[in-house]
Amino acid sequence: MSSSTARNRKDGSAISEADVTTSSMPFGRGSDTDIANTAAAAAATEPIAPNSDSTSTETSKRKPPPPEQPSHMFRRSLIIASFWLVVLCLGVPIWWKTTTIYRANLPLDQMMSWADGKSCSPVLPIRIALASPDLNEQETQHLISITQRSLDEMPGLPSFQLRLEAAAQTSLDDNLESHDSNHIPLVLRLLQGNKTVSIPTSSLHTLFPILEITYPPSLRPAPETISSGLATYIAAQIHETFAEEQSILSYFLATSTISSDRQQHSSQYGIDESFSKRMTRSMKYSGTYHLTFSLFTSGSSPSSWDIESAINQYMKPVLDMLKPIHNFTIDTQVQLYAVPGVQSQVLTKEDLSSFINAAEWPLSPSIGGAPTINFAIYMGNQTISLNSAEETTSQSWLVPQWGSVYLLSPPAATHVPAEFLKQPVLTFASHLLSLLGTPQSGSLSMRLSTLTRVRSVDMLLRASSSLGSLARLSLALPSISIPSSVAEGVAKSIHHLELACSTLGSTDSLEHARIAETEAERAFFEKSMVGQLYFPDEHKIAVYLPLLGPVGVPLVMGLITELKAWKTKRQQKP
Amino acid sequence: MMTSLFSYLIPLFLFFSNVFASDYHEQLNLKPLPQSSLLASFNFRSNTTLSQFEAHNFRYFPRSLGQILQHVGTRELHLRFSLGRWDAESWGARPWDGTKEGGTGVELWAWLEADTEEQADLKWLTLTNALSGLFCASLNFIDETRTTRPVMSFQPEGDHGSNLDNLHLLHGVLPHEIVCTENLTPFLKLLPCKGKAGISSLLDGHKLFDASWQSMAIDVRPVCAQGQECVLQIEQTIDMVLDIERSKRPRAQGNPIPRPPPGHDLKCNATKPYHSGDTCFPSDFAEGEDWSIDQIFGKFLRGTCPLTDPNVPAVCIHVPERRDIFTTANAVELKNSDGLSRCYQVPSEGEFSMILPRMSREGDNAKTIADETVEPETPLLYAERSLTGHGQERGGVQSILTNPSPDTAVEFVYMESLPWFMRIYLHTLKARVEGAPGVKDDIIEEIYYRPALDRARGTQLELRVRIPPASIVFLTYDFEKSILRYTEYPPDANRGFDVAASIITILPSTSPGAPPLRLRISNLRTTSLLLSLPTPDFSMPYNVIIFTSTAIALAFGGLYNLLVRRFVGADESPEGAGGLKGKLAFLVKRLSAKFKGAKVRTE
Repeated sequence: MSSSTARNRKDGSAISEADVTTSSMPFGRGSDTDIANTAAAAAATEPIAPNSDSTSTETSKRKPPPPEQPSHMFRRSLIIASFWLVVLCLGVPIWWKTTTIYRANLPLDQMMSWADGKSCSPVLPIRIALASPDLNEQETQHLISITQRSLDEMPGLPSFQLRLEAAAQTSLDDNLESHDSNHIPLVLRLLQGNKTVSIPTSSLHTLFPILEITYPPSLRPAPETISSGLATYIAAQIHETFAEEQSILSYFLATSTISSDRQQHSSQYGIDESFSKRMTRSMKYSGTYHLTFSLFTSGSSPSSWDIESAINQYMKPVLDMLKPIHNFTIDTQVQLYAVPGVQSQVLTKEDLSSFINAAEWPLSPSIGGAPTINFAIYMGNQTISLNSAEETTSQSWLVPQWGSVYLLSPPAATHVPAEFLKQPVLTFASHLLSLLGTPQSGSLSMRLSTLTRVRSVDMLLRASSSLGSLARLSLALPSISIPSSVAEGVAKSIHHLELACSTLGSTDSLEHARIAETEAERAFFEKSMVGQLYFPDEHKIAVYLPLLGPVGVPLVMGLITELKAWKTKRQQKP
Repeated sequence: MMTSLFSYLIPLFLFFSNVFASDYHEQLNLKPLPQSSLLASFNFRSNTTLSQFEAHNFRYFPRSLGQILQHVGTRELHLRFSLGRWDAESWGARPWDGTKEGGTGVELWAWLEADTEEQADLKWLTLTNALSGLFCASLNFIDETRTTRPVMSFQPEGDHGSNLDNLHLLHGVLPHEIVCTENLTPFLKLLPCKGKAGISSLLDGHKLFDASWQSMAIDVRPVCAQGQECVLQIEQTIDMVLDIERSKRPRAQGNPIPRPPPGHDLKCNATKPYHSGDTCFPSDFAEGEDWSIDQIFGKFLRGTCPLTDPNVPAVCIHVPERRDIFTTANAVELKNSDGLSRCYQVPSEGEFSMILPRMSREGDNAKTIADETVEPETPLLYAERSLTGHGQERGGVQSILTNPSPDTAVEFVYMESLPWFMRIYLHTLKARVEGAPGVKDDIIEEIYYRPALDRARGTQLELRVRIPPASIVFLTYDFEKSILRYTEYPPDANRGFDVAASIITILPSTSPGAPPLRLRISNLRTTSLLLSLPTPDFSMPYNVIIFTSTAIALAFGGLYNLLVRRFVGADESPEGAGGLKGKLAFLVKRLSAKFKGAKVRTE
């Protein structure tokens, strides 16, 4: 159809050209004119004289083009519209679909609210059981209520709630284990002293989480009193017992991203530099740790040691205590001809950091996911001078988040007996506790239960901040692809965070927080997200321009002329 | 039995006799080879009882390797780093019967404990990644396309008892890997004495990787003796062939460019008719070299490793009895009864060296070449392999296997693991025998073939072949070169692709009167091949984009204009709208009118 219209127009133009040719025939001569005329008429359908329009005379003879049929104009509009329809409805969606980057839907609001601490304010309810065999039930309840009141009046973190309650009536001594499982971190035992006692005294049990308070009979709480000296004393004792845990918690809150509005705690609860140093040296929490005991000698002896029995004797009790929170795998090695990084006899504080010869000593981390804690014994006579003025020397030092080193003067024989290793292994045991972030005060069992609670809050905060980082990352980099596994990890992490938040303070919450943390980390460090494809704009132009230029220009020009024609037609109509 | 053995087999003999004498053993075996070369074999072996290994107590066994083995359940491991070519024509049989060498590059095979094949694959992946980190090698590139499960070629060396059923053998090769100093350093770190004392103090990257041929091997296997607890044994071996003259070159002090020796130092062959003051035909290797350990290795041997059994000599040299050897003080010489080797007990402290002076070929006490080196033993089989054919589409491989023995047939397994982009046509596999008359060509006894899957696994071809005495076998097959995808080409695509060495396992002889050399499995590897694939011009994608875009744009523009343009007569077009030409003409006219007007005005 369109070709026939073109032919029609062509015919018209050819005829007019033929006319021009006949009228301005430059070499028409006498008798030849007729022949020329007939030839021109015969060849009317084809333009014979290309130089005809270049002659300057005929510009004045321009005619207006014949009026266009409205059906032709309509058809042209339809053609242009259908081209644009194909481009917009087929081309653009295909282009969009094939070049777009897959981004799984992340619950960004939820993630940000976790990171901002809006979803869960970490509240640690700590139940303290009060056992008072000498008081009757009513007196006990009254004492509890007034002690609780004075506890609440004491300055403290809002997220740290000490709750007093009466101990179950069963005998305390028989049921120490069951108390542990009931998550009662501290049992108060009130004992009425004899007449000679004038002021209340307290003592912390060395093995079990029991605080014994002996009070003089004169302080026996009377009913109907609003305050009592005994209650104040008890409250102060409890507060003191949990002071360290509270400061650790406030440290975590202060250093995490949640705490922007809680910054004041850091000054309020005395987070000084030494405390934050102690916190930064502890390892990242993990369910399992590899412990590597290494014996280094600069020469060839000693080449064997009784480390296995030494660990069994001196380290195993600590590891057994830690079992509910951490698992440990142990390996030992002997390394001869290991030259330390520092050769001097007296090691200064600066030397300690370079003493471990990382290039030559085979202290590579263990295979598997768990972190490695290194305990290195170096056979040498070196001494450590802490301060040039003081004469005190030490034999061991702790390397933050890595392990610890002990300098042991070499024995005469080539074999190191277990007794010789007693001091180093005991030192390592105490270093292990501080590397794990255990609090320093209190009995061991209390320290460990504190560790559980503190660690679960720590993991909770870490997981939340990882989620927040992931959310910010996905907002900041619109061209990064987010695979569905990330979304799954985030969902899992949030689920476990909720569980951990609801049961905060128990061992379950530690497990949930740990899962949440690993899932959040895995989502954040997703491999396919790290290497994002980068196409510079120049490359995009170089690829698109050769096609879009020649195709786009006629399309756009056609549209513009059509719109112009339509506009003029509208202006002419009225 | 000893007399028929070469001296480098002595440690092997010792190994069989007193393997449990000490938990740590090391020995250096030197053997001068023809053409002024020297084979140095370092052997280190340490044992740990399996119970200590399970309890994670590491003493002689390296912890870093032990943990990896435990983590992935590896029961036996063999790792090889090799460089260069063993010149069997002049150097004879290979050290350790070829069992402690790999093909060029890195080769790894291991027996993993796993219930299913998928589990074994996962463990293998972990193992290669972990070893890659430990040895600073690209072992993590041993992916599924480079991994095979040999059927006939490898047999476990250790004692695995009855639990052989759930062991999976996996084998991977990286022929492209360049072995260098960064692989030697972790290798030495595994040793108890760490290159600080004992024979390992001689090892130096500059000398080791300057050798004509070198091979580093690590073998871990459980060994059980009757009535004793099973031990896990790690054996580390370094074999290298040094060019004596090249190694003696002093370490350049400021001028690293080697200079030709001055004229008066040149050794000329005086028998040539044109020999004169200014013409010299070099006489290589004609006269023996004088050398010493400190010259060859660049340093002295520093004492002994104190963990070794002091009764085991640290250094052995394999030369005829008449060869003069001087040593530094306090070394004890122990001559072997066969007259072909002697060993030295090295003082535990201080430096040790061994000097072999030049022996005069003239005068009263003239020595011959037979007094300097022991004639190398003829290997059981010579093997070479090369690519045939031409063009970018097809090619062929030809392996020439020669049995030099005049009376014994050799039976062996020939294994090829080829990359998937080398698609072989198994029907073109042909064996042609030359030499002994009247021998039929059907010498291939068994074929195991696992065809390649594109991008998933390579070809595995194992052939059991029996070569009749004194004959040459030509093993040929054709293959097709496939075209890779754009991103599959390495950065140096035009260099070519390395094809791993084929592994030849010579099966022990079953005949009763066979010599002891034939009673053990011995190995042989051909050189690796460099296959050039059709390599595209890498700017091609952009060219394709431009070209297709232009074609589309041309077609589209023509069609579109034809559809939407209105055609009118040339005189009917509006003024100035006659396309670019019309516009230009219009512009020229206006310009010329203006110019004329200006001219008129100036006049």
